[in-house]
Amino acid sequence: MGRRVVVVAVVVVQLALVARGYWADHKEFAFQMFPESSTWRADVVRVTADGRRVPVEADWAGYRWEELVQDRGLRYPAFRHHADAGLDNQLAFLDSALDWVASNTPRDRETRYLEAVVTAWHNDDPARTEVLRSGVREELR
Amino acid sequence: MTARLDELLGRAVSMRALALLRICAGPVVLLHLRPFLADTLDGHIYSDAFYEPYASWYPELPSELYVGLLWLGAVAAVCMALGLFTRIATATTFAIVAYNLLLSTTHFHNNRAYLVIVLGLLALAPCGRELSLDALLRRRRGLPPLDPSAPAWTLWLLRFECAVVYGASGFSKLVDPDWFGGTVTWQRVVRAQDQLDGWPDWLVTVLTDRGFHTGAAKFIVLTELFIALGLWWRGTRYAAVWVAVVFHISIEGSAAVQVFSLLAISVLVVWAVPSTRDRVLRFDPSRPRERRLATAVRALDWLARFRVEPGGRLEVVDRDGTSIRGTPAALFALSRLPLTAWFALPVLLLPEVRRARRAGSEARAVVAAGPT
Repeated sequence: MGRRVVVVAVVVVQLALVARGYWADHKEFAFQMFPESSTWRADVVRVTADGRRVPVEADWAGYRWEELVQDRGLRYPAFRHHADAGLDNQLAFLDSALDWVASNTPRDRETRYLEAVVTAWHNDDPARTEVLRSGVREELR
Repeated sequence: MTARLDELLGRAVSMRALALLRICAGPVVLLHLRPFLADTLDGHIYSDAFYEPYASWYPELPSELYVGLLWLGAVAAVCMALGLFTRIATATTFAIVAYNLLLSTTHFHNNRAYLVIVLGLLALAPCGRELSLDALLRRRRGLPPLDPSAPAWTLWLLRFECAVVYGASGFSKLVDPDWFGGTVTWQRVVRAQDQLDGWPDWLVTVLTDRGFHTGAAKFIVLTELFIALGLWWRGTRYAAVWVAVVFHISIEGSAAVQVFSLLAISVLVVWAVPSTRDRVLRFDPSRPRERRLATAVRALDWLARFRVEPGGRLEVVDRDGTSIRGTPAALFALSRLPLTAWFALPVLLLPEVRRARRAGSEARAVVAAGPT
């Protein structure tokens, strides 16, 4: 009885996670491998309190984007990259990275929020552009 | 139906394949942990750069403790592979690898998820009773060996997860018109064309041809689905395993998949019939070639398929009583050993080997029918 419950539970949860992979940005345990040939690039800027838009390729307050964001293909966003785990997954990571950088750069006294103008190519579809923004930084709210 | 399921899950079967998988999983865990450990040696951990917790309540350890935990995971993986304090070592390895995976969405990769599943199921199975230092130490102390069989439910779950990996991947491609139609693979190759420098022109032309990918993509998808389904039936299982090995080697050569190939090939051992020493290899000790074969089978029979016995001329008696003699017997034996199976399995399709197996099977049927 106990074994049966465990086995059925594992099977049901696993199948549910596989199904969830068809709509979730992060497809944990869904095993969708090499899902897309999609590519993307982004111009990421810091929008300062006085309205300037400063590319993150320039160091600021002792911070460097490529040191703050090292993983998931986000290190050099200005270059066109393959979206390894799909475009939705990739842009969800970029969105989270903007928030993380905004929240973890305490020496920065001028940035109000970060913004990424993303150009994305889903497989061989035409390019589409979208804008992602971090939350407004508490220090400058 | 329920009673049948309970019987299936509770039936005592050999844990030999899981013991072998446990040994393979140890080095896989070390390879998996290597980049995390390398970072710690450079004084970095995940939280020094962008990461994204799955949940705010998920416990995050102080840096020193986290580093210590990773190294403990590596030690536990070594103990797991050696079979030293196997149950505790395997559970510890699973707990640390799972904890680390779930620390951040950025840690997630399919191969790591598969590793966590495999470690979790190994931790639940008594897979340290053979092929382990635990068993050796027990023998040294003069204690009787523990029963190497256990209820089959962990084995069934491992098989299910193994099939899910191929099935989910194949199905997701099957229902995606861009994938099944060849757009995805074609674009990946075209964009990586600079990496084909030095390849023969005709091959580059073929690989970058859109029409080629219309067929190739379907072949890939159907291959994954064949592996997922073919593993479940005895008639197709060997073919599915053989194809899976080729599939993983080709992926390893064409993409960065971390520990996926090693892990996935290792997990294929769970598809071996979970019984041991139910085939017999008889050999003539006076013949050097047969003696060498017997030695090789004894050394490489990691799944304990054979009882190797000196006898008359070379003969393998399969578990159904079918007897095969001579060279076909040697080839058949090699096809049942993990290290040589991939090379030997196609040889079993040769007409003379098929004839020998058929003759052995017919002879068994005549004996079983008795005198007429």
